Amino acid sequence: MSSLQSQALSVENFKDVLDSVEAFLFDCDGVIWKGDQLIDAASQTLDMLRHKGKKLVFVTNNSWKSRSQYAEKFKSLGISVSPDEIFSSSFAAAMYLKVNNFPTQNKVYVIGGDGILDELQLAGFTAFGGPGDADKTIDWKQNGFFEHDKSVGAVVVGIDPKINYYKLQYGTLCIRENPGCLFIATNRDAVGHMTPSQEWPGAGCMVAAMCGSTQKEPVVVGKPSTFMMDFLLEKFNLSCSKMCMVGDRLDTDILFGQNAGCKTLLVLSGCTTQSDLQDPSNNIQPDFYASKISDMLDLLGA
Amino acid sequence: MMLRSSSTIAATSVGVCHTQRLWSHSVTLNYRLSQFAGNPLLSNSAFVKWKRSIGSSNKNNRFRMATKALAQPLQNADELIDSVETFIFDCDGVIWKGDSLIEGVPETLDMLRSKGKRLVFVTNNSTKSRKQYGKKFETLGLNVNAEEIFASSFAVAAYLKSIDFPKDKKVYVIGEDGILKELELAGYQYVGGPEDGGKKIELKPGFLMEHDEDVGAVVVGFDRYFNYYKVQYGTLCIRENPGCLFIATNRDAVTHLTDAQEWAGGGSMVGALVGSTQREPLVVGKPSTFMMDYLANEFGISKSQICMVGDRLDTDILFGQNGGCKTLLVLSGVTTLPVLQSPNNSIQPDFYTNKISDFLSLKAAAV
Repeated sequence: MSSLQSQALSVENFKDVLDSVEAFLFDCDGVIWKGDQLIDAASQTLDMLRHKGKKLVFVTNNSWKSRSQYAEKFKSLGISVSPDEIFSSSFAAAMYLKVNNFPTQNKVYVIGGDGILDELQLAGFTAFGGPGDADKTIDWKQNGFFEHDKSVGAVVVGIDPKINYYKLQYGTLCIRENPGCLFIATNRDAVGHMTPSQEWPGAGCMVAAMCGSTQKEPVVVGKPSTFMMDFLLEKFNLSCSKMCMVGDRLDTDILFGQNAGCKTLLVLSGCTTQSDLQDPSNNIQPDFYASKISDMLDLLGA
Repeated sequence: MMLRSSSTIAATSVGVCHTQRLWSHSVTLNYRLSQFAGNPLLSNSAFVKWKRSIGSSNKNNRFRMATKALAQPLQNADELIDSVETFIFDCDGVIWKGDSLIEGVPETLDMLRSKGKRLVFVTNNSTKSRKQYGKKFETLGLNVNAEEIFASSFAVAAYLKSIDFPKDKKVYVIGEDGILKELELAGYQYVGGPEDGGKKIELKPGFLMEHDEDVGAVVVGFDRYFNYYKVQYGTLCIRENPGCLFIATNRDAVTHLTDAQEWAGGGSMVGALVGSTQREPLVVGKPSTFMMDYLANEFGISKSQICMVGDRLDTDILFGQNGGCKTLLVLSGVTTLPVLQSPNNSIQPDFYTNKISDFLSLKAAAV
């Protein structure tokens, strides 16, 4: 893995990238959009790359929506993307269970959003929990017994702004008491831009809460784990050496790309600043960095 | 092949979007912390690694306790009793289970007092203040003063006092009433607590969560009213208020709120804040020796003269061992004999017995 200093994307090195790369993998939050707003000239940049015959794949750790909901979001922002080109961590969780032959008679308990529930159900699994458990409380005066479904064979944990004690307890009992119950995390991002103006706790928070009560580490399906990469490499018959991962986070996007052996481009339009990149305590160096993806357009035009 | 950044604490990578790390508090605190030699407060990352090893039976973990002689069944109770001046008792699973007293406890405590032994009660449970625990003891017919009780709620206030936490700074509390009461008694201003359990947020453009810039410490403990608002508030304070402390009452994974089953414990809430801030907390409850050092100092006791009695290996027994006292595991709580004797368990108390009333029934074997 290269530990050379990251280079600013330039006319020359971008030309080399374009010549040698067949597929571009894009993160979404902070790269294509920020909250619900498209980042400058993102649409035109993607059109240019498609025009040049490049394959585009979108890989996001955000498990709140399903792939088809993300496709809708792209559409609402004026970008045409097929759900097949989108790999959300919600989809990754369902695929993980599928490739590992999770028995369909076992249930899945979800701490997270509808995106995870939808993908699990699409893949043929029985999933419950999710937003439906947001308003569940426990009557402490009753001193009653907290029941849980013994047929739950996996607990999937993702970003959940409706996290509460009921969900933590339900998931904890499943993992601790149902023999062989899997503990799957969509991702472990500490924070994310849930609103444009500030960062909010990410899935990393809910996952760590569950680690705290179960004393187990989860299987992580989202970036930087290579699961999604292995899955899409096979699906699209791609070769890592001919790919470039474009993202705004060093420890998920860039690490994800480096783990797979593809080229990596950091954009500064999201949560990482140039000083974060160049800070002595940072040892994740992408091959290139640029201010935003439309720099690719500008450099071509130059 | 996974690349790991030097900032990785957990077994998988965690986000490092903000490289600004607010470690400045550790410099000002070191002189205070140095009072507590051998205190795991100073080595939280080692503590975290150890905690993970308990659940995952990771044979390669680097923080295994030094191999100790296997725990012996308690046979000569009088010999143990005569060898120490003070007994420290955990409460849940030792004195009571839920709201029911364990068999033979009152007589056992009376016997020990009649032999001139000092009794202290140390619990990681932060839902009540020591005064509220005093009432619980009273309700169960036990003769115990509030000053003999050291709950982790009290430990938080005692810790802040020990570092001269400024009275003009506030404390944000993710936890229950016990912590609020102890902070109030100690003269600290707090924000948060159970009433933030009803606060809602709407994640939409234009919504900005404000936080009090005077918060100088975030305290996290067991919290049945846990929600995203509290996590965000605590996270903002820790990440953005310079020098803000992150204090945990304890990190117990599960707790016996009811007799019948386990419930997700303080370790869960603390884990959530570790996940979002990527910082490790200062832990004041067991197995950190803070409470041990505090009461040894308060009562002028020497640790070799103490026997710690508890039902949990990774909090009670480790607490006793870290403090250098004798340790007795009772099987009346969460730990069973198979768990104690399992090859995965590396924490060996000096002795084990069924329940504390065995002190009354076990006599020296006839020679």
